[in-house]
Amino acid sequence: MKNNTELKESAEHAQQRSNVYGFLAAVYRKELSAELLVQIKDSPFREVLSDLGVNLGKEFFSAPEEELIENYAIEYTRLFLGPGKHISPHESIHYERDDGDWGTHWSASTVEVKKFVESLGLNYSETDRSMPDHISVEFELMQKLIEKEKEEWEVNEGKDALHYIKIENMFMKDHILKWIPQFCDKVIAEAELPFYKEIAKLTKKFLEFDKKETSVNGEEDRQKVEQA
Amino acid sequence: MAQLTRRNFMKFAVASGAVLAAGEGMKSKALAGDIKTQTGRDFSPTTKKERKAIPSACWQCVSRDSMIGFVEDGRLVKLEGQPKSIRGNGHICARGQAGLTSVYDPDRILHPMKRIGPRGSGQWKRISWDEAVGELTSRIKKLRDAGTPEKFLYHYGRAKASSGKLIGGMVKATGTGSIGNHTGVCESAKWTAQEMTWGGHFDNWDIDNTKYMLIFGSNILETHTNHMSVAHRIMHAKVDRGVKMVTFDVRMSNTAAKSDEYIPIKQGTDMAVFLAMTKVILDKGLYKGAGEEFLEYCKCTEKHDDSVANKIAALKKHYANYTPAWAAQISGVPASTIERIAVEYATTKPAVLIAYRGPVTTYNGTDCERARQVLSSITGNVDAPGTNCKAVGAGWSSAAIPKAKTKKVKDIFDGAPKGEPESYPFPTHHASHQVLDRIKAKGPGTFDVAVWYCYTPVFANGNHMRNIEIVKDEKLLPFVVSCDTSYGDSTHYADMIMPDATYLERYDWEDMVDPTQIGEFYIRQALVKPLGEARDFGDVMIEVVNRLGIKTDYKTKEEYVKMSVDMTPGVKEAGGWAYMAKHGVWNDGKAKFYSYKKEVPASAIKEDGVVYDEQAGVYWNAKKAHAKPGDSYFKTKNAYKYYVATKMGNKLLAGFKPDKINKSGYMELWSQVVKDAGYNALPEWIPAPNQKNMGPNDMHLTTYKVCVQTHSRTQNNKWLTEIYPNNHAWINPKDASKRGIGDGDKIKVKSSIAEMETYAHVTENAQPGHIHISHHMGHYQYGRYASGKRAPEGRDDPDDKNIHWKWHGSHPNQVIPNRGDRLGGFQRWNDTVVQVRKA
Repeated sequence: MKNNTELKESAEHAQQRSNVYGFLAAVYRKELSAELLVQIKDSPFREVLSDLGVNLGKEFFSAPEEELIENYAIEYTRLFLGPGKHISPHESIHYERDDGDWGTHWSASTVEVKKFVESLGLNYSETDRSMPDHISVEFELMQKLIEKEKEEWEVNEGKDALHYIKIENMFMKDHILKWIPQFCDKVIAEAELPFYKEIAKLTKKFLEFDKKETSVNGEEDRQKVEQA
Repeated sequence: MAQLTRRNFMKFAVASGAVLAAGEGMKSKALAGDIKTQTGRDFSPTTKKERKAIPSACWQCVSRDSMIGFVEDGRLVKLEGQPKSIRGNGHICARGQAGLTSVYDPDRILHPMKRIGPRGSGQWKRISWDEAVGELTSRIKKLRDAGTPEKFLYHYGRAKASSGKLIGGMVKATGTGSIGNHTGVCESAKWTAQEMTWGGHFDNWDIDNTKYMLIFGSNILETHTNHMSVAHRIMHAKVDRGVKMVTFDVRMSNTAAKSDEYIPIKQGTDMAVFLAMTKVILDKGLYKGAGEEFLEYCKCTEKHDDSVANKIAALKKHYANYTPAWAAQISGVPASTIERIAVEYATTKPAVLIAYRGPVTTYNGTDCERARQVLSSITGNVDAPGTNCKAVGAGWSSAAIPKAKTKKVKDIFDGAPKGEPESYPFPTHHASHQVLDRIKAKGPGTFDVAVWYCYTPVFANGNHMRNIEIVKDEKLLPFVVSCDTSYGDSTHYADMIMPDATYLERYDWEDMVDPTQIGEFYIRQALVKPLGEARDFGDVMIEVVNRLGIKTDYKTKEEYVKMSVDMTPGVKEAGGWAYMAKHGVWNDGKAKFYSYKKEVPASAIKEDGVVYDEQAGVYWNAKKAHAKPGDSYFKTKNAYKYYVATKMGNKLLAGFKPDKINKSGYMELWSQVVKDAGYNALPEWIPAPNQKNMGPNDMHLTTYKVCVQTHSRTQNNKWLTEIYPNNHAWINPKDASKRGIGDGDKIKVKSSIAEMETYAHVTENAQPGHIHISHHMGHYQYGRYASGKRAPEGRDDPDDKNIHWKWHGSHPNQVIPNRGDRLGGFQRWNDTVVQVRKA
């Protein structure tokens, strides 16, 4: 059983993980927006990036905002939308399933992600036109799951948090880790401007970190909760 | 990059939280609702869901067969024929079944795009729909405000039924009438001839009741305007009832192979055989009986009220020189065969005579179809059970479509100006395939905005290279929008791309011809939501006119379709949209034959403005036509729109009502308007000028279609293109050996405009003196399956490994000039003269 301090730490840790997934969802959802650009260029975030060794280049912080946004809109289109050579950011394109039903939009993985989302009681927003297995949707789902986990740490002595950790791990194992690291490698190889190259590196590092953290913490949590 | 540690992770997480908290714009989410699970309950992300079966309609080709789509968990998994359909009886073809792969085409366009590099460079930037619609609207508004709405060109390739009605209506509401179609490359010569003879257009063959099937130049078992609904009936007629089927064709098609008798015929000479068969029937008196009776309703001389005896005498005189021996010399069909088939056709009643693109895609195209009408008429095989009938389809009501106060049109769609080469007296379905040439001739300033909807002017028309040269010229076409599902040969040259919903993601009411003569009402409903940001172009055009300040009773095409269905008599009483959504099809059970015998009440000719034209034998409303007293019905512009009835003997009949051409209610085998245009009033054989002096090495180039491809819209379909990935040119062993060509050799085919390379298929199925190249393959773009142009990253599609072909074909349009038949301007696909050599 966790004491109050441990429960608080678990809630804080969940909040932090949820934040990062939310940030990544926003970055991959659409072209770099003026709002996001301002936030990233802002000094606290800039320092964090510097600590992490993320090198967005001098131009990122000095070029006129409009020019940056235009250039990154073109880069986003070229990298993720096409036409022509592009890296479609959908699980169904990249996850090489054993049954062979992969490589096209709306194939088996899309259906599985959609089922996963809907079985949690969530719906796809009417206003959102992305496909169910877009990278930003998967990150957003993680953000929401971990947010729910955080809420559970704050009530009933964290009794139900483990349930959400199980679901998070299941989604990580069955979906996110099946394709996003390889997807990041492709982006790192193909990106021409620093932002998406560096974000892809950061995404990969974060997933490695989170996989390790969740398996260690998850096991500790399981033991503690189950002992209780 | 540094490793992520607990310490820098925490900093990163805090900063991420701050970004999320600060950025309003980052709060747009894909997921809605709250997570709801119960602790302790087993979580199963693999819950099975029910498979839904949704009635809808195909759109792979113009047949638009009724079908059922099966959807599982939001993914379309199968398409099948609709067993309740009286047209299709549960059948759809291979193209129809393969349609579902189009939704998931890896080269499909999923977002609006704007060009950022030079035109044709393939450099694009995604834009929002708001920006895309805004830009199109502002450009149209600018033209409207300047009083030149006609400088907005809308050109469509396929827009039928509600799509055609709504999108065309919205375009017209902007004030432009500059609308191009594709009928000039489809079968317009047939339609023009039918408008000259029996008015209206589209024929149907009552296969279910026929006893003889005579086919000219129609690969009807593989591919046809009303393909499956006719093809399966033909097979039933043959197998169940033993009906004889005879096919004339320039090559041994699969239809020819399945016929009881195949008769090879030289390219473009079907008309000569029609003329000679008519003469045989006249000389042998085989018109007696049903033919003689039907001739009462035909005009065969200048006098509409001539006796049948005079009509027959006039026909005999006109046909005197069209002997079987004469036709044999031209067509290569033995005179004895012509005579035998003529007798069989005239004496086995009822009979159908199916002539399609083969005979009419030639210099004599329109007159060839007129000659076919004569043959059907003198044997009485018209609009009666078991014969050639006037087509019947569903007559839907339409919800209100706003109209512009004035509408202006650029005079550019009907071929060249009078007196110049490529000018035509009867372009009743336009010569839109020549629009690019006409734009080039008129020069800059003709159009400021062009929208191509489901249309590929570069690829679908003759003379590819010239088309590309014109569309690349930004002075001639300053702003081009392409609305299509995939990145095609013409999309490549657009300035803005509007990604269209596929037919499997949208709503329509449908109306294709019903072989039972009943007229089937059927619908299309979206089986899945449009992928990505694709939108039905109908929705886009509604938004454009709304932004222009024009009100509509609906905001989407889905609403328009449902409103129209709910107000259509018959369907409405059956339950309207609710019924159609569940069942997909509806009909009133009444077959419609002998429409021309319908009597008109005497009160109709007593209405204000109705006068009688002695020359035509027609009552028409001259007042409404703004004609002066005494003006001729035949010579008054658009007089046909005010036709009331025709006096035949002592009866007042609806007759064969006119459409697009001023004609009487008679079946006009003898045409006043054709005579007035300087041609023979009866069908007349005129040798094609480009074939008069053919040398010993010259060959006829003909095109054809196969059962797994359409003209130019299916080559990105992986299932279909895997079956038919390229198009070898068929050449007879005699011609091949004369030129040292072996099977599979690379060859060059040269015409008066260009030379192309392709590969030979040496086969006895090709006729000596002819080279046959199918009309599908050889795309320059249109995705990896069609053109080989795809992302080098081979993991984009698991079926990349199944691409067993390296050659994507070579399109004969490269060497086929853009030129029309002498009366209607229909594209002459099949009378190009070429020289063939080994490459």
